[in-house]
Amino acid sequence: MGVGFNLAWRLFRHEARRGELTIILLAIVLSVASVLSLSLFSERLQGALTERSASFLAADSQFRSSQPIDDSWVEEASEFDLKTARQVATRSMAFGEENMSLVDLRAVNENYPLKGEVLIADTPFGQTKAATDLPSPGEAWIDSRLFQLLDVKLGGTIYVGDAAFTVTRVLGEIPDAGFSIFSTDPIVLIRDADLAAANITGPGSRVNYTAFFTGDQDSLKGYYRWLRPNIDKEIHRWRSVSEDQSPVGRSVARAERYFLLASLLAIILAAVSIAVAAQRFSQRHFDPVAIMKTLGASKSMIRRVYTIQICLITTAGIVIGLIAGVAIQQVVVTALADQVDVSLDVWHWRPVLIAIFTGVICALLFSLYPLLRLFSVPPLRVLRRDIDATMSSRTLQFLAAGGAIFLLMWTYSRDIKLSAILFVSGIALVAGLLLVTMGLIRVGRKLGTGKMGPWQLAWARIRRRSMDNSVQLISFSVTLLLLLVVLVMRNDMVAQWRAQLPEGTPNYFLINITQAEKPEIEQHFANANVEMSDFYPVVRGRFVAVNDERVNTSMSKEDEEGPREGRDGLGREANLTWSNTLQFGNEITAGNWQGDDTSEPADGIYPVSVEEQSAERMDINLGDVLTFNIGSEDVKVRVTSMRKVDWQTMQPNFFFVLSPAAMQSFSPTYITSFFLDTERKPELTELLKPFPSATLFDVDARINQLREIVDQVSLAVEFILILVLAAGALVLIAQVQASMDERQQELAILRTLGAKGSLIRLSVVYEFIIIGVVAGFMAALTNELSLYMLQTSIFQMEAVLHPEYWIIAPIVGAAVVGLLGAIGCWRLLSLNTTALLRKMV
Amino acid sequence: MISTRKITKTVSTSEGELQILQPISFEVKAGESIAIVGASGSGKSTLLSLLAGLDEVSSGEILLDDEPLHKMNEEARARLRGEKVGFIFQSFMLVQSLTALENVMLPAEISGLDNAKGRATEILELVGLSHRAHHYPNQLSGGEQQRVAIARAFIGQPKILFADEPTGNLDAANSEKIEQLLFDMNRDIGTTLVLVTHDNELAKRCSRQLTMQAGVLTETTAPVTAVEEA
Repeated sequence: MGVGFNLAWRLFRHEARRGELTIILLAIVLSVASVLSLSLFSERLQGALTERSASFLAADSQFRSSQPIDDSWVEEASEFDLKTARQVATRSMAFGEENMSLVDLRAVNENYPLKGEVLIADTPFGQTKAATDLPSPGEAWIDSRLFQLLDVKLGGTIYVGDAAFTVTRVLGEIPDAGFSIFSTDPIVLIRDADLAAANITGPGSRVNYTAFFTGDQDSLKGYYRWLRPNIDKEIHRWRSVSEDQSPVGRSVARAERYFLLASLLAIILAAVSIAVAAQRFSQRHFDPVAIMKTLGASKSMIRRVYTIQICLITTAGIVIGLIAGVAIQQVVVTALADQVDVSLDVWHWRPVLIAIFTGVICALLFSLYPLLRLFSVPPLRVLRRDIDATMSSRTLQFLAAGGAIFLLMWTYSRDIKLSAILFVSGIALVAGLLLVTMGLIRVGRKLGTGKMGPWQLAWARIRRRSMDNSVQLISFSVTLLLLLVVLVMRNDMVAQWRAQLPEGTPNYFLINITQAEKPEIEQHFANANVEMSDFYPVVRGRFVAVNDERVNTSMSKEDEEGPREGRDGLGREANLTWSNTLQFGNEITAGNWQGDDTSEPADGIYPVSVEEQSAERMDINLGDVLTFNIGSEDVKVRVTSMRKVDWQTMQPNFFFVLSPAAMQSFSPTYITSFFLDTERKPELTELLKPFPSATLFDVDARINQLREIVDQVSLAVEFILILVLAAGALVLIAQVQASMDERQQELAILRTLGAKGSLIRLSVVYEFIIIGVVAGFMAALTNELSLYMLQTSIFQMEAVLHPEYWIIAPIVGAAVVGLLGAIGCWRLLSLNTTALLRKMV
Repeated sequence: MISTRKITKTVSTSEGELQILQPISFEVKAGESIAIVGASGSGKSTLLSLLAGLDEVSSGEILLDDEPLHKMNEEARARLRGEKVGFIFQSFMLVQSLTALENVMLPAEISGLDNAKGRATEILELVGLSHRAHHYPNQLSGGEQQRVAIARAFIGQPKILFADEPTGNLDAANSEKIEQLLFDMNRDIGTTLVLVTHDNELAKRCSRQLTMQAGVLTETTAPVTAVEEA
């Protein structure tokens, strides 16, 4: 052990001092640092985003019930160290001195909300701030709209059921109000103790009971396991942040998948750079091994010396990488702290362990084959320099490298299916690339003949080492491919997020506009320079039968709640609209859109278009005849199309869209929406004064919250992109560096033979440009394939082609690889010929 | 010290088997110095590699200090080299990442000799390089590198020293110094010297000369006085 260790330590010390370990050390440092900073950052960010999503549930998990929740169930949560809060929600009439309005009454206990904030304002529609307390018993905090609807002022009294409440605050927002534009009725927040006095939750009333829970994930899971036997799916529902299907939940879930993908790709990049560096390390030690063997060193001694050395390098790389990773992450987090709410105080050990594991696995498995080759160098090499290592089975190399990558992907994603998909596609990709690059090199042979100019020299070199060059081409292609995937994926994702909420998205909705008010409102708003979107006619109708078969009430209740939890309709009835044109964000998935045809059908039954998810739930099929009860009349319509509705657009969406011809006899009210800058909010009261019967829905805060989250996630994704790009750039540098060593000897000879510096430099630059163009093109092509697979199977996004990258990638590939080649070459050519020749010895 | 009986070396090429060495038999006594001369490609380096146990014979027997080299595997041959053999190469073959001193210490450490550093310092002094002990090979001139190689070859006081074109990479002045040093140390330590060279002048300083031509070894007796004069 002693001799082996001394020698290993001595070699390590000297080589590190002389900068000969820089590349391999840098590769390990890079892998550890990028994995650590990426995963640490993404864990912290995910923590912050989950926290943010949790605020929309007002807790980490919610247990909702249509019947009172057993107290003992909630009490049991404390056994699991969970914090709890409770809420009872119901719809009821609220009365002012003269007016009345249907309200969404929320009675909460003292712990509400566990996550997020209750926002209050000083005046109706005024700027909001977070409340530090809750209404006291006997008090009510009411929505801005109610001040208008009930004609009540702060300090006034409202009546709900048998109880009277003093209005003490303007209620801006509660965290769990839901994302619906028709976020039902204006909210009244009271304390749970007052609910009994109101006497409104008796039999027959629709009441939602919610228990909120907050705690660590394991405790929540443990409690859910305990609770599960009591859950009756008809009555109860358990909701968690992780299964949050709101726009925020989806954005966060998609971002999480992106982080995972980016980190996996960063690991592969790091692995590639370690493989390149380990190969180079091994080759540089062929001579020392031959010398030591000649001087009597046994195989076991050689093994000991180099295994210890690799361990020393790995340890040093991991330590430096960990420090660098934490530092990078800290710098970025500090820089982003203003914009992105990352939990700085939370430390996660998993990323650290994964980073160390990555370093160890990469360093050991990727150096296994180069080391075995090194051990097999025969002593005879001291006399015959052309003798190489005697072991050359590449199977072992592929097995070790492939195994390492798969192991890392699996460890990191904890998802064997995802890892297997990526891994198998990766192998297919590399095999395809190998074939194509070999073919391309063969084609290039013809170009490399003729008078020896720099182009010919470049092609000749590529041709002569076609196998080495294929491997090099593939590693360049894979690096560029990974960078492209991360870049394009990010662009597509951010673009799709932004498209959900473009600038000027309506942030206010106005409903209950009468036919008579419609032109006046249009004029009034135009005068105030506020642009309104389309007016949708609405009548309320009860959905009563399918093909004359009566539907039960629970179905009409379902109908109100819509496909997403929290999306309530207007009261117990559905909103029916009619139009000849398909609404923005809607797509026909079956049948044909009714279009402009206003002629009366032969059987007198006009068409209707149904939202596909509701149709599926209520078992409605194309051709079915639906009956709606509107006022005292029954209207029959035939289902002629199914629509897919993008619920993520902040637009009024309807489950049923009828033909205008069918609704001629009904006088509708209208819904419209408009955009008003947040700063102009105080003008609202004035703007609406002439139209007391129209009701305003304020979704400005919701939209801002959504946009803020999308911006934060985009920013975070951008940071990750930069990190991966940096990792990729370093890998490219390592690859060029390694290949430059191989070219050194040839350059020295050319130099000695009197070739001009410019000829050599140009030939090297051209060689790299050729490699860069081919690699860029291959990367662009394979990028499309990988993106298609990723976007359709993992990200649930629409896949699109990116022809612009077919041109950009080869150009960038040529520029970057060519530039790196030129820099590497310039460094070599700056040495004089003697130094160059001496370096070869 | 060295005894060979009908050793041959055959290698496979794309055009079939190629016999590089015809059956060779000769003896080298302890303390003798022999030179193997011949043109490039005549097979003299191949013979050296076989005698030193760096390569395996295709047929025949080699006894090195009475140990049957032809029967040994690579591990055993490595042990034998470590214990009894020293080397000097045309291209010096120093480990670039180690200093002059550490290069000299290397064989002593590999063979487990005690006080490797003390011995190395002493022998570096002897070859006149104590002031360059902590320099790396690429910071030394060719002549200096070869002196380090000589110091390394003698640190373990080997019974046999194999030298492959020891002055092949050096200019005339340096060659002279290196030759002198080599023969002086050889005499002082009493090592058996096997030297491969195409330099007749250098060969003449050895007690015996063997000529290699197209894989066939023939002996020419050199005047003993040549060594004495040197």
